[in-house]
Amino acid sequence: MSRVITITSGKGGVGKTTTTANLGTALAMQGAKVAVVDADIGLRNLDVVMGLENRIVYDLVDVIEGRCRLRQALIKDKHFPDLCLLPAAQTRDKDAVSKDDMIALANQLRTEFDYVLFDSPAGIESGFRNAIAGADEVVIVTTPEVSAVRDADRIIGLCEAFEKGHPRLILNRLKPRMVSRGEMMSVEDVLQILAIDLLGVVPDDETIVTATNRGEVAVLDRGSLAGRAFIDIGRRVGGEQVPFMVLEEQTGMINRFFGMFGRRPRGSER
Amino acid sequence: MAKLIAIKGSKDGLRLQLDEQAAWEEVLEALRAQISQGASFFNGAQLVVDIGERALAEDQLAALLELMHQHGVRPESLASTARESRSSARAAGLATRPLARAPESEDRSEAAFAWRTVRSGQVIRHHGHVTVLGDVNAGGEIIAGGNVLVWGRLRGTVHAGALGDRTAVICALELAPMQLRIADLIARAPEGGAGRFPEVAFVENDQIGVEPWETYRK
Repeated sequence: MSRVITITSGKGGVGKTTTTANLGTALAMQGAKVAVVDADIGLRNLDVVMGLENRIVYDLVDVIEGRCRLRQALIKDKHFPDLCLLPAAQTRDKDAVSKDDMIALANQLRTEFDYVLFDSPAGIESGFRNAIAGADEVVIVTTPEVSAVRDADRIIGLCEAFEKGHPRLILNRLKPRMVSRGEMMSVEDVLQILAIDLLGVVPDDETIVTATNRGEVAVLDRGSLAGRAFIDIGRRVGGEQVPFMVLEEQTGMINRFFGMFGRRPRGSER
Repeated sequence: MAKLIAIKGSKDGLRLQLDEQAAWEEVLEALRAQISQGASFFNGAQLVVDIGERALAEDQLAALLELMHQHGVRPESLASTARESRSSARAAGLATRPLARAPESEDRSEAAFAWRTVRSGQVIRHHGHVTVLGDVNAGGEIIAGGNVLVWGRLRGTVHAGALGDRTAVICALELAPMQLRIADLIARAPEGGAGRFPEVAFVENDQIGVEPWETYRK
């Protein structure tokens, strides 16, 4: 049974595209056939994040308007041949496609892929509505900040109204040190407001920035904590029960030094 | 004085029922009194004006619409069995609607009951009391003609007694609203966060006050 999942958020810049790229790759690493679709027409980013922008010949609007076949527009990922990208159009805008177009596209992709991930644009208007039109499931991405959570709440309400029930949450860019100082919302604070199931928590991690700039995804970087979190999320999407990583502040050099001599490093427990 | 004006909620929005028999001038006067006390209740709602069998000429309808517009209320349509009324409505640019059927089974003793979390951007608007079994998140709104009871965290915007009733109260297990309104009065939550105990907001001395439930009940 193929699954069509839309990744959305309401707020812009919280990590939808990063999530789509990393989750798609994580699922491909498990051996699944995955299509990732950039539904942010006019502001396409998914291709950049995956390092595939100079391989684009056709895009989603070309497919919908019949100028090419779907196969011609799909771009194979650099690392995983069973992971394909359908890029957005950059020179058009959201009005170029309708909800029915997106539903038809989702159904067509369903026949060839195990997972179809739609990267939604920010906002609540037609771009968002088109992106969720064909979805079986919705994943909501937010950061632990008041405005992002407020927008996520709005989006959850809209998903319920459009009967895309039971969205799941990815809490992105968590900074454990700020949380323990009481300067940032904790996972519990966010869940108390949004009251939906938690799919994963991704720590704030510089490796995301460096990876994006190189057109690589963090899940392929063994040293990336965020990458590990996305791999766990991929396993949960696949149905595994994966315990949540304990995110503590990373111990620095000095602390490790003390640790060797048997003293408790600052900031770690147990 | 027999009630010349009735406000009913329905799935499609609000229905303003005007008495069919009384003198039109009296009805307008009753509406003027009602609407000047609580016009904001209607903001953003789809409003149907229901006049039953009454036949309204264009100028009579115009007087009604003028009165409503003065208070910022814009009805969307008119419901009537009288042909003259319907053509007056069309002339005034209103849609026409059928009369309300017998009260739907939804109409449960004047109190709206919501067993869910009211999320940001969602609105519950009801002419009677409103009870929410769940949270009202910031960005969510409750607009009630009667009292508002939130069996959960109240973080959104609440307007009780929105039709002009200053005796209305707002109760919540955790009262931490963005804004509180009772009838024509507005208050912000005091700085310092909510107590972790049930509280009641009410009007006293022309101001909105908040007290813990334990104190208020005495």
